[in-house]
Amino acid sequence: MHTLIIDSELKALVQNRVRQRFYRDELYYWTISNNDTTIAYALMDNVLGKSMPITFLILVDLDGKIMSTKVIKYREAYGGEVDNKNWLAQFTDFSDKSDYKVGKNIDGISGATISVNSLTKGVQKIAVLFPLIKDKLK
Amino acid sequence: MSTIFKIVVLSIFSLALAQDEFFQPGSSIGGYGELHWNKANDADGNSIKNTMDFHRFIIYYGYNWTDKWSFKSEVELEHNFVADGEGELELEQAFVNYHGGNWGFQGGVILPTAGLLNQYHEPPLFLSVERPVYSKYIIPTTWFGNGIALYGNHSGFNFRLAIMEDLEGEGIFYDGHLRGGRGKGYKTTGFNLTKNFSGVYTGINGLRLGGSLTLNNAPIADENKNASTDSTIAVQLFEINAKYTAHNFYTIFEYGKSEFNYEGINLPTYIDENGETITWSDFTSSGYYFDLGYDIGGMINCNKLIPWVRISNVSKNDDDVAMQTDYIRFGLTWWPIDDVAFKTDYANVTKDGITTTEFNVGIGYKF
Repeated sequence: MHTLIIDSELKALVQNRVRQRFYRDELYYWTISNNDTTIAYALMDNVLGKSMPITFLILVDLDGKIMSTKVIKYREAYGGEVDNKNWLAQFTDFSDKSDYKVGKNIDGISGATISVNSLTKGVQKIAVLFPLIKDKLK
Repeated sequence: MSTIFKIVVLSIFSLALAQDEFFQPGSSIGGYGELHWNKANDADGNSIKNTMDFHRFIIYYGYNWTDKWSFKSEVELEHNFVADGEGELELEQAFVNYHGGNWGFQGGVILPTAGLLNQYHEPPLFLSVERPVYSKYIIPTTWFGNGIALYGNHSGFNFRLAIMEDLEGEGIFYDGHLRGGRGKGYKTTGFNLTKNFSGVYTGINGLRLGGSLTLNNAPIADENKNASTDSTIAVQLFEINAKYTAHNFYTIFEYGKSEFNYEGINLPTYIDENGETITWSDFTSSGYYFDLGYDIGGMINCNKLIPWVRISNVSKNDDDVAMQTDYIRFGLTWWPIDDVAFKTDYANVTKDGITTTEFNVGIGYKF
């Protein structure tokens, strides 16, 4: 596990574009290699649901394309449907250039509106951030 | 792909350690509210209603002790004012929640799971200015009371069992519908307990399918407000609901039916304002509504804008045409941002062969 500190300039840039704050100034990430060649990165971040953090992990390839998304921990009574595999699969192949619009490109979930909006922006934040930090990753 | 992912997740030993440090104890606040301008005309076009009403103002307060133990509450002020029997101040939710991952427990003032709106009633979440009439008389939204609940979820299915205070049999009798039987947590009884079973499926993107069954033998209190189980109304409410929101479509269907059967020795009676003696008779009530809308916000670049139509029938008593109302409502709802909605709707309301009209404008918000 590595820790990436997001500097304030980069933070402001991504936050302004996605319209969501970073939960913390640092991200955890893991490098995935095959025979000493890096093939992908896994990044873990949090977004705020109604009142508690939602911890999620995104697997991106070297081009910044999302390979998979997973909710690691959901902490509230309502809205846990964002953990659904079919729903999360909608982000697969998305990148920093994709349109992350709930109700258009991303289907909503009735009863989980806050979590859906928050997590969608959280995924977009990582996708937007990735090309900007890729060279700094180990 | 999923295999690679599983290997990654399993091999990240530090993951389990890392996830616990994200939670921090603390409080959260939120709320919602809605302003309504309601107008209505009788069959001859004469104005019979023209009111402006800040219908609801709600503040949520919650506190998270740990990532499993939390407290949630919701206090509601209705009609802007409380004095001399006008307006209402209600504690609609106040419960301790234990959330254990894919199951949990709640205890305090809770909501039964019945219909789409009872648990999710923030104004930006429904199309019309006022809540659907169905969600007033068929499902007595907001329905809340003292009790406990157990919930769980597994592969897209959510289950919940709520055990709550008794309904009030005399309230159902006097008002003629389930809404009158809500105890609202105020000096309620626990002789027979209300059992509310529900299930929701959300495994298909954009679709939500739900249903519930609620059972209670509602004690009928005497003139001194003493309730007992000698004389009860057996209440059974069954409802189903479906909501599909994807590809710009916005579709809702809800149907519910209640049965009210007296169980006891002497049929209860009361004397109404005209001096007539009213005697209990068993009855059923039922209703539905169907919403169809299409989001054209993307075409004209204004976030979310939905023209919609709602067809509805609400029968407070299935055997009495004077207690049955048909609604055809057209509306336009605009969300400049997702948490704020501007609404307007127009309806033809037909009861016993007479059609009146309604025109409503409203603003709703949540945060």
